[in-house]
This record gives sequence, C-alpha cells and structure tokens, in this order.
Amino acid sequence: MQIYGVLIPKKEQISGYLKEFQQGKGGVLVYLSLVGLLVGGVGVGCIFMLGHGHTINTSSYVPWGLQISTYVFFALVSGGCIFTNFIGNMFFPHHYRSLASRVIFLGLITAIAGFASLASELGHVERMYMFLLSPNPTSPMFWMSVWYSADITILIIEYIHIQRRRHSKGMLYASFVIPVITYCSLGSLFGAVGTMPYYYSSLLPIYFLFSGFLTGNALCAIVAAQQSRRTGNQAAMKPFMRMQKIGLASVFVLTFCRIIVGLSSHQSGYEIFRETFFQNVVFGMLGALVGPFMILMYRRTSAALIFSSVLVLITQFLARLDLVVEGFRVPVFRVYDMPERISYFPSIFEMLVVVFSLSAVALIYIVCEKMGLFEIAETIKGGH
Amino acid sequence: MPSPEDTDILDIMRADLQRALKKPRQQRRWAMAIDLKKCIGCHACTTACMSENLTPPDIHYRPVKEEELGEYPNTGMRFLPRPCMQCDAPSCTQVCPVTATYKRDDGIVVIDYERCIGCRYCLVACPYGARSADVGHYYTGDFHTKTYEVENSGEYGKTSKRTSHWRSPIGNARKCHFCIHRIEKGELTRCSTTCLGSATIFGDINDPQALITKLINKSNVMKYKEELGTKPMVFYLT
Ligand code: SF4
Ligand code: SF4
Repeated sequence: MQIYGVLIPKKEQISGYLKEFQQGKGGVLVYLSLVGLLVGGVGVGCIFMLGHGHTINTSSYVPWGLQISTYVFFALVSGGCIFTNFIGNMFFPHHYRSLASRVIFLGLITAIAGFASLASELGHVERMYMFLLSPNPTSPMFWMSVWYSADITILIIEYIHIQRRRHSKGMLYASFVIPVITYCSLGSLFGAVGTMPYYYSSLLPIYFLFSGFLTGNALCAIVAAQQSRRTGNQAAMKPFMRMQKIGLASVFVLTFCRIIVGLSSHQSGYEIFRETFFQNVVFGMLGALVGPFMILMYRRTSAALIFSSVLVLITQFLARLDLVVEGFRVPVFRVYDMPERISYFPSIFEMLVVVFSLSAVALIYIVCEKMGLFEIAETIKGGH
Repeated sequence: MPSPEDTDILDIMRADLQRALKKPRQQRRWAMAIDLKKCIGCHACTTACMSENLTPPDIHYRPVKEEELGEYPNTGMRFLPRPCMQCDAPSCTQVCPVTATYKRDDGIVVIDYERCIGCRYCLVACPYGARSADVGHYYTGDFHTKTYEVENSGEYGKTSKRTSHWRSPIGNARKCHFCIHRIEKGELTRCSTTCLGSATIFGDINDPQALITKLINKSNVMKYKEELGTKPMVFYLT
C-alpha cells in the first residue's frame, strides 16, 4: 500500500518543509506547538518517572481527574469529527467534500491524543494487554476499549479511502455507526454507575453523542473557516455554521433535561445538582452554549465562526472536567477529617498532560497541512 | 456448643472457623456481623488492620464513622465501622474491565494485584467508598522509607512489596479482604481479634451452628445501603 502521499506526506513534501522549518519559516503555530509538545512531554515523563503519588492530585476520594476528562474531551471531539464527516457528505457534499480528509485526519489524531492522556492516568498502563487476556464483558469500560479500537481502525480505513479517492458508501455508514456505538459506550461508562448521582443517567450516552458532535464540529469549523479564508470560498463554511448551531441547541436541551432530572430527585447524593446549579446554568448553558449561538446568529463571518468555535472548545473542555470531577464532590462515605465536600484542583503535571495532548494534535495537523498532505482530496471530483 | 454467655467470644469464633475450614472452600460463606451497641468507637480495629495489611497513608480498609443521631435535645452517637461489605452482588466486580477484581466461591471479593491496571473504575462504582487507590505514598517520605512501609504484608497470600511505583500494590486499587491470608491459616480476621467491645463477629453463614449465623437471623439486623441491591455480607446489629 502507498504510504507516502496517502498516510503521510510525500518524501519531497517532507524534505521541502523541513528545509523551511530549519530556515525559521515553519509557521509560528508549529514552533509554539513544538515547544508545547516538549514541555508537555517533560510533564508526562515526570508522571511515569516519579509515579502518581508525587505528580497527580487525584486520590481515593477523587479517583478520576483532569487526565480522564481530557481523554473524554478528545474522544468526543474525535467522534464529533466523524459525525461531521457523515453529515457533511450526506447533506452538503459540494461544500464539504474538499475538507473530508482533514476532518477524518483530525478525528484520528484526536482519538490518539485522548488515549495518550488516558494512559498517563492508569496505575499500570503496561498491563493493558489484560484487556485481551482477561476481558470482562459486563464492564462498560471493556466495551469502550473494544469499540474505541474498532473506531480507530475504521477511521484509518476511511482516511485511506478518502486519500486514495476510493469512496464507498458502505464505509461512510460504517464510519458513522461504529463511532455512535463507541461514544454511547463512553457515555454509558459514566451513565451506568448507579452509585454516582452526577453520572447516573440514561441521558448521558445521548448527551455524549451530541456534545461530541458539537466539539468535533467546532474543531472542523476552525479548519473550514481557515480554508474559506485561503480560497475565498465563503460558502464552504456555511454547513459548519449550521451544524454548530444544531449542536449548540441540542446540547442546550440535553443539559437542561439533565439538570432538571437531577434537581427533581430527593435521594441522597443528588444535592450535587442543587450545589452546581448556578455554575451549570450561568457558565455551562448561558456562557458555553447560548453565547456562541448568539455570535453565529448575528455574525456570519469566518472570524465569528473561528471565535465561536474556540469558545465552544474551551467551554466544552471545562464542561468535561466539571462532569468528571463534580461527580465526587459529595463523598459516598465520610469519615475522620474528610471535608463535607471534596475539592480537586489539577497539579501542574496533570495540566502538562493537557498541553502535551493539545500540542501533539496541533503540531501533527498543521505540519501535515503545510506539507500539503490533504491537497490530494481537494482534487476529488464527484460525490460518493 | 458453648453459649456466648459462658465462653469467650473469640474462642467460639475460632471453633467456628476451624469447622468451616474442614469443608471445601465453595461450601463456606464468610460474613461479618458488627454489633453497633457494643462498638465503643476506639478505632482499635482500624489501626490493627493498618498494621496487619501495612496500608499506606490515607488508605483505611476499616474506618470507623462517628455518627450523630437525632436533634437536640434528643441526640445520640453511634459508631459505624465500615469494612468492605463483600457484597453478593458487587458493583465493583461488574465494572472492572479486566476481571482483576472478582468474587471467590467463598464470598470474598478479591483484587488480583498483578492483573489490575489501576483504572479506578471500581473505586467509582463502589457505593460504600470501600476501595482506595494506592498511589505510592509513604508515611516516612520517599527517601526515608522504613522497612515496614515497603515490606510484604502477605495480603492474598502473595509477596508484593511496595518498593517502587511500578510494583504492585502501588498503582492498584486496594480494599479489605477479610484477612484471607489469616483465615486460611486458621486465624480470625485481625479486626475481630482486636475489637475491644467484642463487637465484630466473623464466621461462615453456611454453618447453622456458627455464632454469626445465629446473630444475623434476629430481627435487629440492618444492612448498609441495602436498597442499592448490592447484597452486602456485613450485617449490622442494632
Ligand atoms: S463494598 Fe464496595 S468494594 Fe466491597 S464488595 Fe461491595 S461494592 Fe465491592
Ligand atoms: S482499578 Fe483494578 S480492580 Fe479496579 S476496576 Fe480497574 S483494573 Fe479492576
């Protein structure tokens, strides 16, 4: 199979870009993300060298923290890219087609970046092979791993198909259905935990699907807006604006339902919904969802699309952290000097894991873009 | 069979234990009863458990919760020791992706330290907060660790030493296991032998003659968070 020019840029594209890079013409974002990757890499290295006890602020009371929420964020972004690809191909083929390979590529690298963050949280990542040797089919996490692997595999195949201009409708549907199952299993990984009121909800898998769609679409929208600026084709970013509005509205409704259901329960532990009500409404709904929606309603420029998309990505990143961490705020068993409410603030090393994952995604994407890896898809004629 | 009134409660439990050990493992059903009227909140069981299992800072297999009951002026105080409930329908084993934690045929929920990937899903799923993450802390700091902090505690009959963060049990989930390493040698759980108020009764509930079986079949028995459907095997006598 052809690797250069399909999976990775052609040899001459690589050497041409490396020359520019050495001359300091690699692009500011590339140098910045390279620095981020190195600094973040030192943080990740410290976690593995020094151990969790000295580097990470999670504990028995807050077992999951920033690294898990970062994983969830990237996994959902990845899923969102795939949904964007499906909807773009089905409903806006002419505007969307030239961006397909970029979108799938982003889906692929965000899925891998998410996994990198997850790996740094596990106490014994070197035993991951246990998923094969002693699987537990009753565990949502086991199914998550199965579907996540299938998802990455299908993404690679779809990416190769697009790059080689061998489009197939079957593959398009497969690359939609498998991620739907994958991100529903991620939702059920949280939603099925009956002992955690903040997680426990049959709405959560659907909420994950739509917030994934929203965040993935926001990332693709930034790329689309950049491409529109480059080519002067403003129409190409319209589908992304429309999809982002749909995503924002759906997540708004689901967030509202989740809060209402939580508030109406009087069982022990559900007080968390009352305690987080203000932050969920003001920041989680008005700031994170209504704000970007209004921007898109009244400004239809590429700058507005980029701004609202960045806002969506930042606020949804914080929403994932809120979802994961606030679940532990009310302790299930309080004893000795444990405070009534458990608080958690990530350590510098945990933050560096985020820097590492973000920089890796930015660096790989921008470098591949600059090397012209996706140009091949822009010459595609005809639809699926 | 001597009655609890004329014989030391520990001797009765030891006799029960010996009888149980003569049966094949799958015919035993280990359980614990805690008499809340007898518990004086001395925390002797907590500290004995820590020394038995050499648990690191912030990990208590058997904490004792002090609960204030009622409202002024009708108030009272109750002490509630909380080991792992060794649930019959445990939510922890159900979620473990690699079957590192599972329920043995004698009812004890165990963790295979060599299989556990340290994902902490079981900590999230346990409604009793009975599980802890061993992240590699030492009481005496990293550079002055004493032998007792790294030594093998013999948990699960294995020889795991806490010598580096790559070595189990560091990186794993940990919890109370009814002192399997002791009971299989014919010794009672450390908490029941240390209990000053003789409030902790341990034994095989498949044995109709056992003290625990007699106690849990009375009307004053409560199971903690029973409504969650976890079927706890720790019975509180009220
Ligand atoms: S108390 Fe928690 S850790 Fe123990 S068996 Fe029950 S669910 Fe599992
Ligand atoms: S921490 Fe270990 S025992 Fe607990 S669910 Fe994960 S792999 Fe299983």
